Amino acid sequence: MKIPRKKYEASVPSMAMGDIAFLLLIFFVILARAQDDSHLQWQPAKTELLDQAKFSKAGVVVDVDNKTYLNGQEIGVGQLAVELDAILGDAPVGERTVLLKVHKDATAVYFEPIIEAVSEVGGDLIHILEKHHE
Amino acid sequence: MSDIAFILIVFFLVCASIQPDKGRSQQIPRSEEKDQKDEQSQNPEVKITRDRVFLNGNIVKSDDFLARIRILLAEKTTEADRVVVVKSREDTTYAFWIKITDYIEQAGGIVTLQLEEEREVKID
Repeated sequence: MKIPRKKYEASVPSMAMGDIAFLLLIFFVILARAQDDSHLQWQPAKTELLDQAKFSKAGVVVDVDNKTYLNGQEIGVGQLAVELDAILGDAPVGERTVLLKVHKDATAVYFEPIIEAVSEVGGDLIHILEKHHE
Repeated sequence: MSDIAFILIVFFLVCASIQPDKGRSQQIPRSEEKDQKDEQSQNPEVKITRDRVFLNGNIVKSDDFLARIRILLAEKTTEADRVVVVKSREDTTYAFWIKITDYIEQAGGIVTLQLEEEREVKID
């Protein structure tokens, strides 16, 4: 007796395609927008007056261990001005923003040389802070 | 339904994670200009320690500082005269430094830093 072979039908679930495309879109949006210093631990100082931070090419972080990072990479304060100059290049005023994220308990010996380095390369300094709630 | 719930969760997570940072911009005169300005005029000098602030050598309560610096800067007419020289001791915390420099900028001052050339290193 000849047994007929079973035929399996393989079909792509078209209903789920929209969901998958949407998830992929979100995934790439996160990858593009996520700051590469998001893994660093620091707590912002508080202030009453806050503005929206502009887009910046450079972000400097001083974390809870007083280590300095430029765009997520650990760096010595002595090299900071050179590296910032390389990143900012000949960018015009208004596009030379440097975000400074300093842990609230970091001391002047760590954060002042950074401010000085930003000043030296002509960067527009923005301190990233948190709103003070009374 | 679970697909929709999952997509909604992801959507709100994305919204939360990409909120732009907020902060305060600070105009700091370029280093090479600072020395010239110091020579040109007598600018107010603020010294910040860990929990105290001195204005032209006199101790001021941090709560009174804004009023005092406002009075001092009210007399200054040119931008060069509104430069306030800020000296910090090495143990000054960033939170306190931000509070005091915030007051200076609220009073119309332009913060400029005066770093110590050499800091003492304590070896226990």
